[in-house]
Amino acid sequence: MYGRKACQLVTELASGEKGQLTHFNSDLFEQVISECQQHHLELQSLIRKVQEEGLDLQTTKNEDHFGALIHHLALVRNKRCLMAYVHNRAETIRSLIWKLLGSMIPPEIQEKLSNSEEEYFKKHSARLKEYMSKLELDLTVDMVPPKDPYIQVRVLDDIGEGIVLSDDKTANFALHSIHFLKRTDAEQYISRGLMEELRG
Amino acid sequence: MTSYYDIDDILAEEELVSVVFQKAVNGVGIDPSSETDSVESGSKVELPFWLAQELHLRQVAVMALPSCFNQRTRLEIQADAAFVDLRSRCQFFYEFGCKIAPLVGDRTIGSWLLSTFKSRYKEVLTKAHSAVFAASSKYLALLSKEETKMYEAAQSSMTAFKKWRMGGPRFQRASFLSRKRKSTE
Repeated sequence: MYGRKACQLVTELASGEKGQLTHFNSDLFEQVISECQQHHLELQSLIRKVQEEGLDLQTTKNEDHFGALIHHLALVRNKRCLMAYVHNRAETIRSLIWKLLGSMIPPEIQEKLSNSEEEYFKKHSARLKEYMSKLELDLTVDMVPPKDPYIQVRVLDDIGEGIVLSDDKTANFALHSIHFLKRTDAEQYISRGLMEELRG
Repeated sequence: MTSYYDIDDILAEEELVSVVFQKAVNGVGIDPSSETDSVESGSKVELPFWLAQELHLRQVAVMALPSCFNQRTRLEIQADAAFVDLRSRCQFFYEFGCKIAPLVGDRTIGSWLLSTFKSRYKEVLTKAHSAVFAASSKYLALLSKEETKMYEAAQSSMTAFKKWRMGGPRFQRASFLSRKRKSTE
């Protein structure tokens, strides 16, 4: 049935968990595109047939016209499915950028992206950084309104020594050590999973 | 109005409807019973809704009422709406119903969908707040996609409310990372 493959692509999106990326299914994507090209060829040949019979394209309503109509509808449908696939993935990628700004693309995510999506990731985060430096404001911190400017955190991964904090002091984030930090300093490490917040 | 990119809307339009062609169509392979690349007038074919709708509007084919809205389902829903298995009938029962209602000649579908929803809604909401996770899976299998979403929304807002009351941790590791780590452990 027409449009079945394109719908499979969308089903794949729907069955994945929200906010999670799956591998870009370039195989199926290509198949849908070649199905579209097939539709296009058949559409053209039907239209040519109508013209060769010397009938008026606008007013003729014969079986060839309806055949062309069905190919046209299938094309429109396939287009919608492909667009939805790309669009919804791009949306997920954008929300990842907001959470991961400043760090490179994690390898487990990079392998799931197609080439153009990877480029989109890089360019979009570059634009966002450029915008924030123009504003002189880091928009990615304080996504949750703060109750207290300082929080206690435990280091979950060896981050390293001599990390310069915003108040020009350096800290040694050894594994399992506990620190009392400014929220804004800690936030980027927490969202990357390198620290956790401690509750007193 | 649903968005062009809406995944659920796209999937709802993939539901099959049986249509009877009023006109002959050339050069398409949509009739599995036909040996040539054409559909003859009067043949009955199952088509996805997105195609059936347009053909119906152009009077190329006439749509029949899908079986998930037939008299038998109605009787079952009248008996005990909350425990009718809508998912196996049609994943997007309400969405699909709303799409098909103006096209087929049955004027009662709209009000019937509404009353079905009303009587099931109560059960969904109470189950979402009270049921233990393990016990609810059997009930969840009966719900249509729209109802499942509602069920999840009710549960997550309850958890969010409890978390807010207890004052849980406000920062969390970005969710897509935590999942990945867990699976590699």
